[in-house]
Amino acid sequence: MDNTSFSSNEGKPIRCKAAICRKAGEALVIEDIHVDPPQPYEVRIKILCTSLCHTDLTFWKLDFGPISRFPRILGHEAVGVVESIGENVVGFKQGDVVLPVFHPYCEECKDCKSSKTNWCERYAEDFISNTRRYGMASRFKDSSGEVIHHFLFVSSFSEYTVVDIAHLVKISPEIPVDKAALLSCGVSTGIGAAWKVANVEEGSTVAVFGLGAVGLAVAEGARLRGAAKIIGIDTNPDKFELGKKFGFTDFINPTLCGEKKVSEVVKEMTKGGVDYSFECVGLASLLNEAFISTRTGTGKTVMLGMEKHAAPISLGSFDLLRGRNICGSLFGGLKSKLDIPILVDHYLKKELNLDSFITHELNFKEINKAFALLEEGKSLRCILWMDK
Amino acid sequence: MENGNSSGDNKSSRKPIRCKAAVSRKAGEPLVMEEIMVAPPQPYEVRIRIICTALCHSDVTFWKLQVPPACFPRILGHEAIGVVESVGENVKEVVEGDTVLPTFMPDCGECVDCKSQKSNLCSKFPFKVSPWMPRYENSSRFTDLNGQTLFHFLNVSSFSEYTVLDVANIVKIDSSIPPSRACLLSCGVSTGVGAAWETAKVEQGSTVVIFGLGSIGLAVAEGARLCGASRIIGVDINPAKFQVGQNFGITEFVNSMTCEKKSVSEVINEMTGGGADYCFECVGSSSLVQEAYACCRQGWGKTITLGVDKPGSQICLDSFDVLHHGKILMGSLFGGLKAKTHIPLLLKRYLSNELELDKFVTHEMKFEEINDAFQLLLEGKCIRCVLWMG
Repeated sequence: MDNTSFSSNEGKPIRCKAAICRKAGEALVIEDIHVDPPQPYEVRIKILCTSLCHTDLTFWKLDFGPISRFPRILGHEAVGVVESIGENVVGFKQGDVVLPVFHPYCEECKDCKSSKTNWCERYAEDFISNTRRYGMASRFKDSSGEVIHHFLFVSSFSEYTVVDIAHLVKISPEIPVDKAALLSCGVSTGIGAAWKVANVEEGSTVAVFGLGAVGLAVAEGARLRGAAKIIGIDTNPDKFELGKKFGFTDFINPTLCGEKKVSEVVKEMTKGGVDYSFECVGLASLLNEAFISTRTGTGKTVMLGMEKHAAPISLGSFDLLRGRNICGSLFGGLKSKLDIPILVDHYLKKELNLDSFITHELNFKEINKAFALLEEGKSLRCILWMDK
Repeated sequence: MENGNSSGDNKSSRKPIRCKAAVSRKAGEPLVMEEIMVAPPQPYEVRIRIICTALCHSDVTFWKLQVPPACFPRILGHEAIGVVESVGENVKEVVEGDTVLPTFMPDCGECVDCKSQKSNLCSKFPFKVSPWMPRYENSSRFTDLNGQTLFHFLNVSSFSEYTVLDVANIVKIDSSIPPSRACLLSCGVSTGVGAAWETAKVEQGSTVVIFGLGSIGLAVAEGARLCGASRIIGVDINPAKFQVGQNFGITEFVNSMTCEKKSVSEVINEMTGGGADYCFECVGSSSLVQEAYACCRQGWGKTITLGVDKPGSQICLDSFDVLHHGKILMGSLFGGLKAKTHIPLLLKRYLSNELELDKFVTHEMKFEEINDAFQLLLEGKCIRCVLWMG
């Protein structure tokens, strides 16, 4: 754990290193930047480690649309320590171990007060602004004074970042920080999807399309609930060996199904279809397969993957009418400040396996290697340490 | 023509019955009232004498349709009430003289789905619009007087003085309930009330929107009313439905033809401050399902589809919308109800004056006037038209 004295920088900009994305799809550049002090309701945090999530990859490559802006600091899965707090910040103090979370939880709006959803009507619609409460105002400048844009209200590919309190969770300092970082996005999304969104029960059958970190986390969540059969579907057979650690009981490689559709294979394996299916890739056609893989009368499909080309989803009316159910979910239906501490607790009690998600560890400066590993499908979660 | 088939059973009537039926011989053409032969029940089947039957839009759909699964000549009708005339072997559930509701949705009670609390889709007799009896391959109990096979419809075929049903498609009920009210629970009212109560689980104080104020939509309103919904917004293109709808608990009405430059979903989003808790599509149009989805509330909004669209129709949704907003899209057949479990419960609620059925019956006619009933329904001039057998 870091024990730098923070008091010297309070109220002043901090000069530190960040990995900047200056052009879509090009290698990130490690540069010196300035990070302004936190405004009211904001917290400046020192990042301890950060991991790469597929969503970072998607937006790194994207060069059109409202969310595409450069130069920018990507990264949204991380763990840090509070360096200083802005006015009106309650519940956080210097030295607290915190997780920044891309999905907002303002605690005050109708949705945040309801147990039925993790939507936040106050903030969730806006995923484009740089800062939550200050629109396009940014806390980052490069060494020439040019504004650098934020990403998903986190921007963790930097030694320091500024995060709104609606996007921050205080956690126990007992959990090893690299495991904690995983809970700030991917793993929580998957487990939450199984537990909260689908509410997988003991003895259920489950199909997971896409065995990246989110898909494997869904399996972990389903395993902990006592699912009887967890089928993993992926075109990369390397994922199968890894998947066994997460509770998968069966695997299907769509490229080896011949004329049959994956959904047909799933239905054969389960005598009619699974109780729950999860789409963890981001392809409308795969979502439809996931949808018809479920059992009529009770089947529930959860969409977790972000459609890569914004392609529309097309579902058969008859397939829906036969008692099926489909919904999408961000962050696995979790309310960050309430649910992440519960997951941390499960890990500390040795009930939740987080260790198996980490396949690589690198120094922050080698971030581009981490991008390459993920693109090539060779890594699950690569932890980037700021100080090692 | 007799082919008495006594197989050691001590029931008296094991011969074909000659009776009147309204036969649909050609798509979209008036039904022909003719004499037909109804064969005796096979094992696990019962033959019933229909007391009365009501016309449902699904009958109209398959009457008009010129491609499979439409087929001709066929005996349509699936919402009815009858009395058991004879039973086949192995039938333990009912005896001659029992009053039963035929139900198009099978409930075999034995398969893993019928045994599950969560599903109402029997896997022993998977739901499909079949020309035949469910248990025996390519088997019909009807022939016309020329010996030509007549096709069944939805396991019921109630536009006939007598019909044959599988035990999976009957529910025994109390004979004291007025038949013209009880028959409604064999399809339409159960579907709508069930959708609100069982599929959607509408809560007290909810805001509900119903697209399509036919019998199903009005039954959804009745169900939502029983569940304590505080606002029930009805959407239809026929302004006359609003007057009717008020009797069913509809609090506000939107005429989708007169929304000017706005889409219905925009109007509803404005009226509800961001969308309804529950939206029901009761017409059978994928584009309307999309409209309904667009005005159900982000976070916890549920859109439920009940209407049957053309085979192969697709519902198209924006992937960003689906992923981000957390809305749920669901479909159900027969309101998610298990016939043998839930119909008796609905009848109880009728008898205790909670569930109102009288207001659904707008016309009562003689069976021979069936083509007039079709016209009334096509012109949107009736809710339920009950046809009494002679």
